[in-house]
Amino acid sequence: MEAIIQVENLRRDYITHRGFLHRNKEVVSAVRDISFYVQPGEVFGLLGQNGAGKTTTIKMLTTLLAPTGGTCKVLGFNTFGEEKYIRPRINFIFGGEMGVYRRLSARDNLRYFANLYGLKPREREQRIQDILELVELRDAADRLAETYSKGMVQRLQIARGLINNPDILFMDEPTVGLDPLGAHMLRDIIRTLHREGKTVLLTTHYLPEAEELCNRMVILNQGRIVAQGTPADIKGEAATLEEAYISLVQEVKP
Amino acid sequence: MIRSVLLSTMVLQMKQSFARPMFRFSLIANPILNTILLYEMFRHSQQDNFVSYVVLGAGLMAIWSCICFSSAGDIQRERYSGTLALIYAAPAGFPAIITGKILGNTLLSLSSLLISLATAVAVYHTPVVVIRPGYFFLAPVALVGSFMVISTVLAALLTLSRRTSLYMNCIEIPFILLCGFAFPIQVLPAWLHPISLALSPTWAVDLLRMAVNGVEDASLFFQKLLILMLLSVGYALFSGWLYRYMDRQVRMTANLEVC
Ligand SMILES: Nc1ncnc2c1ncn2[C@@H]1O[C@H](COP(=O)(O)OP(=O)(O)O)[C@@H](O)[C@H]1O
Ligand SMILES: [Mg+2]
Repeated sequence: MEAIIQVENLRRDYITHRGFLHRNKEVVSAVRDISFYVQPGEVFGLLGQNGAGKTTTIKMLTTLLAPTGGTCKVLGFNTFGEEKYIRPRINFIFGGEMGVYRRLSARDNLRYFANLYGLKPREREQRIQDILELVELRDAADRLAETYSKGMVQRLQIARGLINNPDILFMDEPTVGLDPLGAHMLRDIIRTLHREGKTVLLTTHYLPEAEELCNRMVILNQGRIVAQGTPADIKGEAATLEEAYISLVQEVKP
Repeated sequence: MIRSVLLSTMVLQMKQSFARPMFRFSLIANPILNTILLYEMFRHSQQDNFVSYVVLGAGLMAIWSCICFSSAGDIQRERYSGTLALIYAAPAGFPAIITGKILGNTLLSLSSLLISLATAVAVYHTPVVVIRPGYFFLAPVALVGSFMVISTVLAALLTLSRRTSLYMNCIEIPFILLCGFAFPIQVLPAWLHPISLALSPTWAVDLLRMAVNGVEDASLFFQKLLILMLLSVGYALFSGWLYRYMDRQVRMTANLEVC
């Protein structure tokens, strides 16, 4: 089967300027030469410490950031340059309480994004009703998002990420700050998407969750891949995935 | 699709803008205060048509402030609320979304003109004389068009940078002076005139003022309208180029988020 996500020798540097009078250029290599692929229908995990380069990788995959070098292909297209073929067929959810219009209701938020994704009014209303039910926001659908709890905002985010029925859903730390019930719901949604044959790429800190959900994963450390394979591959001789992870991440510490 | 994107963005924009106290201030209080300010300044001048400078001046200043604060502020707000990346990567296309926002702001801000007019009538009992309603209809259309193209240019520039609010404050007043909102550009030093003439609102304001004062020379009116249209086409082409440049640039410099 053709890979749906194809990453080869991918690099990304950030250039920052420090100082006011004497502006010094400083280069941060966030992602250094990583290669992996994802098959259609897989749930794929991107694991790593804070600053490992997970968000940077997701941003390059979701057409939001240009690679500094290497290949970054989604659905067979370059994410920088051929993004118009990718964007209608993917969506992404960044964890936390960002990414919704707080002065609109959940329904109006979803309507707006549905329009941006070109849904026809008929299918739009049906789709919105379905996903509101899926994330259990139906009863609060017409209240302003600014009155929502943290967990509700995150559920609205998830709903937004599903609005265009994407072939690939990217999730950056989707369970951060979610209450146990919300996290459970999210895992259910991911399993449902998996059953429907969708591809999911997610980052997480929570190893049992990664082990439970992911078919395969890579572990990033300081911008490099330090391990990849199925959770069982990575666990190897170690008692738990967490133990394996810790020794992997510590090994390469300078 | 493009129509529903423009329309829904416009409605969203109006709702969101109006929900903000600062915007309501710019929209409602600003034209009232400006009208009073300009009226007191013009009271002892030789000018006899108050509508032309007081009402239009105050209204235009208010429209401009609304546009300025919103095209800049909206992008910054989207950036901080984490929605900038979402709308940027939506298939609708960022230029269409920005155009919808600008359309919403511009239409909403037009009410400033009416508020400024109402203030002049209510406080100073200014007789409102519009001699040629035909021209007076054409001129605001030209005005809205010229404000819109200039805002798309601004919005693109502001997306490129995170220092948006600084720039926004820097351009507000110079535009008011350079485009002749409150007084004729002839009072500016001669070396500034080319800049004034290159800014499309200058021509739109001129047309609006001609329409209010009575168009004696119809061919002059249409000549200026033609210049305005050519300038606007130039601006539109430039902003098209700017969006393509910005589209690559923001992704290379990682400027879509606050990091
Ligand atoms: N816009 C940016 N400008 C400069 N440095 C950045 C930027 N975004 C991320 N970085 C740096 O890149 C590295 C990787 O960050 P990130 O991809 O966010 O890691 P993760 O998501 O795994 O925590 C970090 O060192 C971070 O400080
Ligand atoms: Mg991150």
